[in-house]
Amino acid sequence: MSSQGAARRSYSDVLGLAAWASVAVALYLVFFVAREADISMGGQLQRIFYFHVPAAWISYLSFAIVFLASIAYLRTASRRWDLLAHSAAEIGVVFCTLVLITGPIWARPVWGTWWQWDARLTSTLVLWLTYVGYLFIRNLTTDGARAGRLAAVIGITGFVDVPIVHFSVQWWRTLHPSGPTVSNPAADSGLGGAELAAFFASLAAFTLLFAWLLSLRTRLGRLADRVDSLAVATESRNPAEPQRVPAGNPVGEAT
Amino acid sequence: MRPSGFLAKTSALAIKDLRVELRGRDTLPPMLAFAFTVALVLAFAVPELPATARPTKLTVALAYVEAGFLWITVLFAGLIGFARTFEVEREEGAIDALLLAPVDRSGLFIAKAAANLVFVACVEAVVVPSLALFFAIDLGAGWLPLLGVIVLVDLGFVAAGTLFAAVAAQTRSRELLLPLLALPTLVPVFIAAIELTADLFLGAAFDDMAGRGWFAILLAFDVIYGVVAALTFELALD
Repeated sequence: MSSQGAARRSYSDVLGLAAWASVAVALYLVFFVAREADISMGGQLQRIFYFHVPAAWISYLSFAIVFLASIAYLRTASRRWDLLAHSAAEIGVVFCTLVLITGPIWARPVWGTWWQWDARLTSTLVLWLTYVGYLFIRNLTTDGARAGRLAAVIGITGFVDVPIVHFSVQWWRTLHPSGPTVSNPAADSGLGGAELAAFFASLAAFTLLFAWLLSLRTRLGRLADRVDSLAVATESRNPAEPQRVPAGNPVGEAT
Repeated sequence: MRPSGFLAKTSALAIKDLRVELRGRDTLPPMLAFAFTVALVLAFAVPELPATARPTKLTVALAYVEAGFLWITVLFAGLIGFARTFEVEREEGAIDALLLAPVDRSGLFIAKAAANLVFVACVEAVVVPSLALFFAIDLGAGWLPLLGVIVLVDLGFVAAGTLFAAVAAQTRSRELLLPLLALPTLVPVFIAAIELTADLFLGAAFDDMAGRGWFAILLAFDVIYGVVAALTFELALD
């Protein structure tokens, strides 16, 4: 257990170093190498793109992991999968929140509005709400194993909804065009070599950061489990301690 | 298991739920009263427009708002009722006896969903005519297509709602969690329902409506959630 734990820790430390190094490289490329975009894409503001898109990628990756780990948990009832699903959901919600914050900051000056009811925006918002619900299930259920099962059900039904939501909002929007149409910033922004390098460096940095956070979060979960099981073990070893009734005063007389 | 046995047991469970409701009248009357009151309050939000023969921008916008009001009322009243279905089983510890019923858990799900379907249908039987009256909507020959829309919406709504009610019932803040879980998931159903209903309010021909693909969204949701909910229901109950 301890050697395995130490191996995991050193693996996690290497991942952490790699994450920080790639973040530094990505930041340098994004701010000093990539050129300013033309004004139609927001000029300097376009640099949000290097954070916004990777964050979106990480949140979708996280939710896909939640989906797969939920299925694996329901099949095997192994705590490992449950912990992976829970950790991925937490990180996914954080990155999805970043997407929903960085998007409007860019959209306000460029589109002239904070929010558009575009298919991609709407499905991201619905996804975010679904996984916030998932985390609520986790926190509002007392029994750990039950929380895992209920959350897994939401992790599966929530992900299954993604394509239906996407198609429905797409049709809904295409049928009622109002205001400017939303274009994909990656498709027609004419990114040059330096910009693409910055983008992929940022994507790699986010992915490494995600892997590191995931390893930290699952480790935290394992440690919390161990604390719980140790507490139970101590309690069962000293059964006299938790009893409140003093010796020589039988329970029957107390009432 | 013989199919007839499965059907008989499932319908026995559904009839049990309806009989409990018939004797206790704990769920349906409050649902109906709630739905009617909400419909009444929403009617105050709708302005009166001069009658025109052909749709203007204003009448189109109004049709969407009215369709939205209709489905919001049904959605909220339905969620209140769904939360009750497992509350009733909890109160007397009846859920343990229910789990002992000699039927597959998917049968249990179908029974619960069927009872909920009856409740939602009753709500709609009150809300649709009331709102048509309040908003002075003349559906003409649109009644039949509207019935089709209602059936397709209800199936998906009840499937997802019953599953999430079972999940929410086992957490600490049950009533609050159910809408949080159900509403985001139901967004596609809600959009499709509003689009189709608004079309009908505007007097669209059925062929035009059918050509727009919203029925496909509803059908896809019904099938996917019917299957997923029946499969995962037992995991939510254990």
